[in-house]
Amino acid sequence: MRRSHLASEALAVLAKELRSELRSRVALNAVGLFALTTLIAVAYQIGPYRIHEDDRPHLLAALLWIILFFAALSGLARVFVKEEDAHTAKTLRLAARPLAVFGGKLLFNLLLLLALEACVVPLYLALMGYAVTGVGSLVAVMLAGSVALATTSTLVAAIISRASGSGTLFAVLTVPLALPLLVVLIQGTRAAAGSAAFSEVLPALRAIVSLAGVQLVASLYLFPVVWHD
Amino acid sequence: MPASESLVWVAAVTIVIWAGVFVYCLGLDRRVRSLEDGE
Amino acid sequence: MTDKRVWKWVLGAWLLLVIWAAFFYAPAAKGFKGESARIVFFHVPQAWVAVLAFCVNLIASIRFMRGHDPLDDARAATAARLGLVFSVLATVTGSLFARVMWGSFWNWDPREVSIAILLLIYAAYFALREAIPDEERRASLSAAYAVLAFVTMPFLVFVVPRIYWSLHPDTIINARGALDMESRMFQVLMGSLVGFTGLFFWLYTLDVRLARVKLARQRREEV
Repeated sequence: MRRSHLASEALAVLAKELRSELRSRVALNAVGLFALTTLIAVAYQIGPYRIHEDDRPHLLAALLWIILFFAALSGLARVFVKEEDAHTAKTLRLAARPLAVFGGKLLFNLLLLLALEACVVPLYLALMGYAVTGVGSLVAVMLAGSVALATTSTLVAAIISRASGSGTLFAVLTVPLALPLLVVLIQGTRAAAGSAAFSEVLPALRAIVSLAGVQLVASLYLFPVVWHD
Repeated sequence: MPASESLVWVAAVTIVIWAGVFVYCLGLDRRVRSLEDGE
Repeated sequence: MTDKRVWKWVLGAWLLLVIWAAFFYAPAAKGFKGESARIVFFHVPQAWVAVLAFCVNLIASIRFMRGHDPLDDARAATAARLGLVFSVLATVTGSLFARVMWGSFWNWDPREVSIAILLLIYAAYFALREAIPDEERRASLSAAYAVLAFVTMPFLVFVVPRIYWSLHPDTIINARGALDMESRMFQVLMGSLVGFTGLFFWLYTLDVRLARVKLARQRREEV
């Protein structure tokens, strides 16, 4: 009986995910294309000058997260759906422990999100003339938000992969759960953009971290149930 | 407290709705009971 | 058996009394447009039942994940069905009330949004169930989703409004929160709560009994 450490198993799953994704680039393409298209559409039509000064804080934060969120939704379900499509799910069940599978795929989704943000956010700030005062705060909010969103979507992705998974089912299930997170993220982004003081984003950050924590703990119990054949 | 006429109407409609729902539930109850007795 | 039958008639009469009291016993609330406050006697219990159904669904879902009893899955589905109906009712009555009080059907008040999201969760739950033909799998997957949804809800109901408030102090204050109710109104509201809860449990037990009969029949056919 193999006695490998859970963490190393999870990292092995992550490595496999990264390798296969870099080979086929399906998720990267889908997410990247979506993000680029919406970003260009928004930046071209709206740009830095079309929004009234008073509305800028609200709208700019909201638009950024709309772009990020929908781009993410288009790619986050793949981690599990592709296993079912390629019929490799059964092998994966034998090869690794459930929590290792969850851990690896969660990390993959997290990296996907972070990569998306790393590309989109600087472009958005530049194209929309969005001046952010609290860069450290913004990074913290994005990081925490990505963890929370990755957790939610990975578990939901696992659930729908075992259903007659259509793309819309993933969105239908994720949106009600992600909406509170989205609201808090927009608030946090506004707070970070408006002030360099870390205390400003603290309420939002606390909410996001506790949401992520709660969902992570729940996933530890729920994922084995979902993954079980 | 004098009740306006429209209030009486709304109250009456609400009561009719509830009566309808209640009768429907009674019917359901009867059906479930007959199914159970048939077992 | 006789005492069980009596309860439905008691419930029927009780809610009839509540309706009468809501319109003629309770006074028109101050600070509200005319008689519009009366809708609160129906709106609040509906929202309460929607949340109660959510809790019952959670318990049934957890029990299913532990014991794999198909009856627990039936319980979860029944609770969710009732929850969906009552959250639709609550959203609609809340919207009507908002229209009369503040002039628009929707105001993005945190509570309004919470009940709407609860509605979305129920809808998603059923969309998921529809997409899974196998019964056992349908039961465990929807149970997992229900639990995930349940742990996420407190953040919307409690945490987000707190942040929301700190950034938007001028948001429309929910009238229910600001009400210091007169004793009569309080009585009627409580009575209505009891009545609606009773209605929920009646409908719930009926549906579960139906499911039990169906399951027994299925089992016999398999033998």
